[in-house]
Amino acid sequence: MSEDSATPPKNGMAPQKVLGIFALAMINVAAVLSIRNFPSMAVYGWECIGWYIIGTVLFLIPISLAGAELATMLADKDGGVYAWCKEAFGEKGGFTAIFCEWSNNLVWFPTVLAFIASTLAFAISPDLASNPVYLFVVMMIAFWGTTAVAYFGENVSSKFQNYGVILGSIIPSILIIGLGVYWSLSGAAIVLPPFSLGEIVPTLDLSTLPFFATVILLFAGMEMAGFHALETKNPKTDFPKAMAISAVIIFFCTVMATLAIAFVIPADQLNLAAGVMQAIEYFFTALNIPGAIAPMAVLITIGGVVSLAAWLIGPAKGLGVVANEGNMPPLFNRTNKYGSPVAVLVIQALIGTFISLLYVFLPSVNQAYWMLSAMTVELLCIVYILIFAALIKLRYSKPDAPRPFKIPGGIPGIWLIGGMGAFGVIFAFVVGLMPTGDFTSAEAVSYTLGVLLGTFLLAVPPLIFLKMKKPGWIVSGTKEG
Amino acid sequence: MTQGKDGSWAVILVLLLFFMLPIGWLLVTYTAEPYHAVSGEPLRDAAQAAGITVVNATDTMWPVGGAVGGKTYTLSDESGNIYTVQTQAFDSAESRDAAVQLHNSQSIGRGKPVGKLIIIGNYLVYVQPYTSGILKKIAPELRKLQAA
Repeated sequence: MSEDSATPPKNGMAPQKVLGIFALAMINVAAVLSIRNFPSMAVYGWECIGWYIIGTVLFLIPISLAGAELATMLADKDGGVYAWCKEAFGEKGGFTAIFCEWSNNLVWFPTVLAFIASTLAFAISPDLASNPVYLFVVMMIAFWGTTAVAYFGENVSSKFQNYGVILGSIIPSILIIGLGVYWSLSGAAIVLPPFSLGEIVPTLDLSTLPFFATVILLFAGMEMAGFHALETKNPKTDFPKAMAISAVIIFFCTVMATLAIAFVIPADQLNLAAGVMQAIEYFFTALNIPGAIAPMAVLITIGGVVSLAAWLIGPAKGLGVVANEGNMPPLFNRTNKYGSPVAVLVIQALIGTFISLLYVFLPSVNQAYWMLSAMTVELLCIVYILIFAALIKLRYSKPDAPRPFKIPGGIPGIWLIGGMGAFGVIFAFVVGLMPTGDFTSAEAVSYTLGVLLGTFLLAVPPLIFLKMKKPGWIVSGTKEG
Repeated sequence: MTQGKDGSWAVILVLLLFFMLPIGWLLVTYTAEPYHAVSGEPLRDAAQAAGITVVNATDTMWPVGGAVGGKTYTLSDESGNIYTVQTQAFDSAESRDAAVQLHNSQSIGRGKPVGKLIIIGNYLVYVQPYTSGILKKIAPELRKLQAA
């Protein structure tokens, strides 16, 4: 199968097999299904169906199939994306992939934390959303609280995510869908024009290219379950089923809830400059149930926290495996008695706290934020390019390795699926370098070079760590209480 | 502790350096946009100075704290391209910045937000799509108002 044996942690406890199909599926749903996408997509009316289909064909289906094949093929290896890319491209490829996933998170964390804090403010007092001290305090409670959940290992964090995703993502989505159906059946006017097939065809031109690229990454996160391979009861059978279940839940909830919002709120009232709670407020007020706004804000806040948890725990586990294999100094190698990579979690929390401080207290540095978010998109694209490339390469380099789930169609099939996914993310990478129209020519060049340089700096540390690697790193490691 | 010998601190230093370089460079390059009262209608003024026709303008109020009103403009260039832009004035730097923060936290999936906010003193200008040719034409005029 592969030259390396399985890589259990060198310290801490051996992984407990606690995850089944449902828990794995919920990890992916937590990472991908987000109510904050719905109002932004509802502006496009029926056309949103076309955009969702593009995202599904060019990303959701390829990444789900790729994840299912790679996770079952490498079911005895820990590290998810790291293990998959390492198997195809060696340590450099695997380390670069997991580091890009981890480092893009650090820049993304303040964004989702601010979303959590501003959404919760809606349940308490909307004016709090403009209070930096409130924002920072809530952001830190959510961030360190989620880190604490991760500290207590897979059993606790998977339960947290299972309950949280049902409460914070699935129930609110179903509620919005149900109310949209009620709105339609009650005889109230649907603000969309009558449905026709032509209405769902997206407008594709130069001006919609950035949106096209955004839609491709709409379903990013489907690889999250792969980080939990060693904790899965029957990985060879559970992964494909979990991938399929999560993809169906995500697609159904996303499309139907977006349409429900589009049925009720006129596009010109879906103010994209404002936020999801403003749309939800309009939605529930139109339905004559304003009392549901605050509870909904609490549920959406929970959804934000479990999404944060999914992205916070998975890549940190992957980086913990890198450290366990001796590619980072022993300081990073510390695993606690619950099997959590405690050092990586703490370092991640410290860096994330610092970036959150800048985000909250320097909010009018608008252009800087724009460039940072462009870098996170580029880093994520690198991860997915490596995953799809690994999928294709392994069919050539390890054609006879057992694959309990195999993408059908042989070599043409793998090129079709891997090729579609790779095309989508390479396209998103290139479009991510496009400057916005308000830049001067000089600023545009500086923007593109800046994003490339920043992405390079955030992606290159693994190559430096591997150069600095010492034999002692692999045998060291401290078990902590 | 053996961190000094095993290179842990060197690795942490490299890690911090590589994170701080892009972030620090951005903060030095792009400073905060100052809050100042802009008289008149900045978007209409910029469009007219750039030779862009304002086809329509309607009042709009964003449902966020501190917003004091603005307009939704429909613009047209000589080729007949149509572009819709929204503006909104704010009563303080804090409320304006909170609106920027709120918008920036509304990204789709793991991507960037759908549109972009441009800060002109006490105004926020919402542009989408942000690659529009009309935006390229009015941007230099908006920049003059930014500096004013």
